[in-house]
Amino acid sequence: MDTLGYLGQGFGVALSPYNLVTALCGTLIGTVVGLLPGLGPINGVALLIPIAFALGLPPESALILLAAVYLGCEYGGRISSILLNIPGEASTVMTTLDGYPMARKGLAGVALSLSAWSSFIGAFIATCGMVLFAPLLAKWAIAFGPAEYFVLMVFAIVCLGGMAGDRPLKTFIAALIGLFLSTVGIDANSGVYRFTGDNIHLTDGIQFVVLVLGLFSISEILLLLEKTHRGQEAVKATGRMMFNFKEASSVFVVNIRCGLLGFIMGVLPGAGATLASAVAYMTEKRIAGANGTFGQGDMRGLAAPETAIGGAACGALVPMLTLGVPGSGTTAVMIGALSLYNITPGPLLFQQQPDIVWGLIASLFVANIMLVILNIPMIRIFTRILAVPNWALVPVIAIITGIGVYAVHATTFDLFLMIGIGIFGYILRKLDFPLSPVLLGFILGGLMEQNLRRALSISNGALEILWSSPITFGVWVLTAIMLLMPILRIWRKRSVARRVIADV
Amino acid sequence: MLLQRIFASVLLLACVGLALMAWPYQAAFSYEPVGPRAFPLLMLGLMGLGLLYMVFRPTPIVHSDDDPKLDRETLIKIGICVLLLLVFAGAFEPLGFIVASILIGIPMARLYGGRWLPSTVIISLMAIGLYLLFDKVMDVPLPLGVLDVLEN
Repeated sequence: MDTLGYLGQGFGVALSPYNLVTALCGTLIGTVVGLLPGLGPINGVALLIPIAFALGLPPESALILLAAVYLGCEYGGRISSILLNIPGEASTVMTTLDGYPMARKGLAGVALSLSAWSSFIGAFIATCGMVLFAPLLAKWAIAFGPAEYFVLMVFAIVCLGGMAGDRPLKTFIAALIGLFLSTVGIDANSGVYRFTGDNIHLTDGIQFVVLVLGLFSISEILLLLEKTHRGQEAVKATGRMMFNFKEASSVFVVNIRCGLLGFIMGVLPGAGATLASAVAYMTEKRIAGANGTFGQGDMRGLAAPETAIGGAACGALVPMLTLGVPGSGTTAVMIGALSLYNITPGPLLFQQQPDIVWGLIASLFVANIMLVILNIPMIRIFTRILAVPNWALVPVIAIITGIGVYAVHATTFDLFLMIGIGIFGYILRKLDFPLSPVLLGFILGGLMEQNLRRALSISNGALEILWSSPITFGVWVLTAIMLLMPILRIWRKRSVARRVIADV
Repeated sequence: MLLQRIFASVLLLACVGLALMAWPYQAAFSYEPVGPRAFPLLMLGLMGLGLLYMVFRPTPIVHSDDDPKLDRETLIKIGICVLLLLVFAGAFEPLGFIVASILIGIPMARLYGGRWLPSTVIISLMAIGLYLLFDKVMDVPLPLGVLDVLEN
């Protein structure tokens, strides 16, 4: 029952007026950022890091702010999916399938509030799961030595590729690019300057805010140039704004099922909200079978992906808090933020900084409730924001991105570096490389190298330490399974294709 | 396909170059069996293997409907946009935040299809507003540059 006591303490932190205001600001900023094209949760969170730091927020408030922004972004993404049929992020693609038809039927307000409600249930289930499992996992994780950590990170990277589906190779290459970029700068153990090319600004390594904003904001700005025309009108959200009891109860079972699914998928490294929403939608479509009107505005089709996204977004925080291994691009950014405050997430965080961990968990509850309440009066204002044209928006995004980067070190070198990384990111995107593995690799790279070197120092250079303990061995087996997954999938696809040819 | 091959080859060459660069990295004093060279070399090696595979067996890119093919016009626009961003970075400190933002913001707004008058008004107001918001309210120091005289 320690957990409940800690949770109560966490609510004490989260419900202090200062942190409540922080969470409210975070959800508002997050929603707007999620709404706008070209800004997603990753750049939203990254942009706020230097600002939170400059404002002198204490670490727990800063983390609450970032978590609120994260949830708000997920929420804002759905507004543009439902009203415009344009998914704000990759994860909300599934929401458009049934959300937009519902809006066309004149149920825009209902669709929005129902999706907020679903997402709330998903997040609620996941947060409960987090309360139950995170301390257990943290306790277990204390048994992890450097060798175990190294193997776990290898697993996380491989998971990314294994889950990515049709392009495992590109995902691996992207992750390796990130891992390599993390080695730039002075080596902490030996003092050797690596890959700096005698540039004084690179001694510290590449600042991760610079990398994130370059990769995601600048490349997005360039991508938006290709689509300057803006054809679609937003569906007006008129009429009934709130779902009624009957509608809510008709999707309740779906909510529970998809919430659990989302949580599990969120905890797994690499899977994340995008995959969770897709799997949830497909599963519910199959369960509903013939009596569903999926694709034409079925409420279950709206509730399923939304619940899963809510669950996965919170679930992704579990590996981040307990193991210090991020499960998604956004949580990777949050780890970067924590390291600015000299806080290393991991099992010890639960013992040394319970205020931060439990305050964050409690504030997730608070932020979720805020989002549901915000939805009703604010939706008209949010739809107004959707009407801002790109020509006014993009230069402002570019300028704010510049401010965010400049705020870290106050050097223009970082601005140039960001543009360079942005162009590289744009090329990667055009060639169909996923970008968030670069980010995950970058965050994991430093940890991975440190743990590898520490492990081998313990064993005095003998490589056996990397697979001799039962934990490491088990994780290696899982890694091997993950590596085989894409190969198996390709092989099966080929044999199906061959059978089709044979049948013809 | 060809683009991917070229990209993979260029990156592969970069890998080789960086690996050569990493080769002499050795600690003067070493307390540990693994030096600063091993990890980057391992990453570059794995990346090299992946890229080598890509050079020979590139995967086709699936184009979605809302993703139009690149034409000359878009490429020129992207070039101009990159140039504007570089000017922004270069002018940020010497000219100051407000002037630099207005200088690149207006052509950028034009690039995205805005008209002269609304672009000028909105970007100028935004630049001043953002300066006040970040520098004065949020304590993020931004350079004033040529507008320094107005401060006193």
